[in-house]
Amino acid sequence: MEKLVEELIRIQEEGGAGVLATVVEVEKNGGVEPGEKCLIRDGKLRLGTIRHEKLLQAIVREADARLREEKSKLIPLELPAAGGKVEVFFEVLPSPPKLFVVGAGHIAVPLVKFAKILDFHVTVLDDRILYVNRERFPDADEIRVGDMAATLKSLPITPSTYIVLITRGHKYDEPCLREIMHSPARYIGMIGSRRRIKACFQRFRDEEKIADEIIERVYAPIGLDIKTETPEEIALSIMAEVIKVRRGGEALSLSGK
Amino acid sequence: MAGPGACHDDKEVEAPKKESIYHQVRDFLDKGETLAVATIVSTKGSTPREVGAKMVVTAWGEILGTIGGGCGEADVKREAIEVIRSRKPRTVRVDLLDDISSDSPAVCGGIMNVFIEPWWKQEEGSRR
Repeated sequence: MEKLVEELIRIQEEGGAGVLATVVEVEKNGGVEPGEKCLIRDGKLRLGTIRHEKLLQAIVREADARLREEKSKLIPLELPAAGGKVEVFFEVLPSPPKLFVVGAGHIAVPLVKFAKILDFHVTVLDDRILYVNRERFPDADEIRVGDMAATLKSLPITPSTYIVLITRGHKYDEPCLREIMHSPARYIGMIGSRRRIKACFQRFRDEEKIADEIIERVYAPIGLDIKTETPEEIALSIMAEVIKVRRGGEALSLSGK
Repeated sequence: MAGPGACHDDKEVEAPKKESIYHQVRDFLDKGETLAVATIVSTKGSTPREVGAKMVVTAWGEILGTIGGGCGEADVKREAIEVIRSRKPRTVRVDLLDDISSDSPAVCGGIMNVFIEPWWKQEEGSRR
């Protein structure tokens, strides 16, 4: 068990993805006991106590589907040779979602706090060391000082990356947006007034011939409409939009009001 | 903590790592304790926590993590102590179909199945 715990800790620390499968129910014993388990990482069996070959194969196959869905689930599996049925609980250990906060101004400070509470791995970028430093962002996982578009280019972007562009002006937002528009990021949001954003997108269409479906991926103006007034409220509205995209909600009051 | 002066261009600064429930589990196992790990494996209707939520119970009845609090958790804790004693896993069905006027958190209205298993530090090569 201690080896398993060590491996679970390692997965969390490395931010990797894994699946822990546990036999929960056994109907007609085919050499399998409740409590037996195995850990799968990168599509491969890492360790565990399950010795039933056929069951292991079925688990490795199913683990892949669970990981894609990012959802833990109890799954019934058949053991054809033994004529038995087992229920296996698949616990998904997803890699934590990553948030890039581009621009370390007054919205970024509460935004990073909210994002850390929500368990995002947070990277803050700015080209001004007076703004992006450990004193202003004690909870951030990474801090990058330097040209923002160039930094974005150097960071790995995956389908579990969320990017918030809140720099001090469109002069900075636009080159950043250009850098990430074609990336597999799950969410790209950009701050700015409707008018400014319209002009920016128009330029992208006319001068750079960027396709509409690429431009339409961008959430701009950024955030949910909760009539924000303060930087803290804007930060909350941005994180609410990020969660909405991540979990797929409607963002309406549940009461219908 | 590094101040602004300690930062350099493009340098990556790592924040301290958050301790997870597994760090605590490791500490208990290292002390030779047997733990009960309770996991919500399936739910029906409205429940306080999601499938996959975990709670660890020590032999002394100490609790790490939560599967939703209230009556359900107390039931699971009782069963968990049994699991530690017997070192045999079991599944417990927790009914949250309480009277709606009650103050208990058990008024969610759902049902959850909680798998409780014993974890302990094994000698190298045993139970393999």
